[in-house]
Amino acid sequence: METAAPLRIVWCGVGALGSTAAVLCRNLDATAVFLDFDRVESKNLLAQAYVKQSVGKNKAEALKAQLLNFHGVKCEAFGVRVTAENVASLTREAGLIVDCFDNAASRKVLSDHARTTGVALLHAAVSGDGTFGLVRWDERFVPDAEDVAGQATCEGGEHLPLVGLLGAAIARAVQDFVKAGVRRDSMVGLAAVTPTS
Amino acid sequence: MATLNITYNGLSADYPMELDALVSDADLKRIAVEVLRSGHVAGLALPHLADSAFDGFVVDRLQGGQRLYLRPKVPFGAA
Repeated sequence: METAAPLRIVWCGVGALGSTAAVLCRNLDATAVFLDFDRVESKNLLAQAYVKQSVGKNKAEALKAQLLNFHGVKCEAFGVRVTAENVASLTREAGLIVDCFDNAASRKVLSDHARTTGVALLHAAVSGDGTFGLVRWDERFVPDAEDVAGQATCEGGEHLPLVGLLGAAIARAVQDFVKAGVRRDSMVGLAAVTPTS
Repeated sequence: MATLNITYNGLSADYPMELDALVSDADLKRIAVEVLRSGHVAGLALPHLADSAFDGFVVDRLQGGQRLYLRPKVPFGAA
């Protein structure tokens, strides 16, 4: 008898939110696929799931290597920028897409794709001052634009507790979807995770 | 009865309120400043809150407008 292939979860952007949440999802019965064109810099060690040995490597490849080496979990990685032209091929056979990008244009590429194909899409986003974050399914999500292009992000280590709380909320939303098909939104502040749907 | 949830400086609280259907985002921000200054929102009493405290914030209207969320913008994934 054939067994169903594990759900394919495509993580778009594996910076602070994506890398933290993906590590917390390592025990799910699913295949993780990481998409990110960026490289690990020393400053990223402050708030992202990367270790010193990963500095200089592509983030998607680095996270794949860390999960294999530290946890024995096999993943896939593509070190490319997601665009309207390649989103369909990069997310082929995805059962779930998780948007942890850091700009509205890339989030819109994913939303347009999800609304065309019907694939499930979960968004995660954080405020510039690192005090607040959202976990919201695409049917209720509108991307927020930066106040100014190139606005500073909360990538310093002082926001790591909020990143951890938000990463855990993302992981829980993913887990609820994988195990029960539930699509739960939440807001994350400095002291609490609040379900909003 | 609608509920306005206000998030400021990393903390959130609910404020139940009667609203007509056409309250603008700007009006909701003014209401939020007033109720936080007055201490009418449990857990978020800010008597010296500036008029501009919610400039750049976003209003989400969910559940048919019965749940309103005044929150900071969230543009980032912390690249």
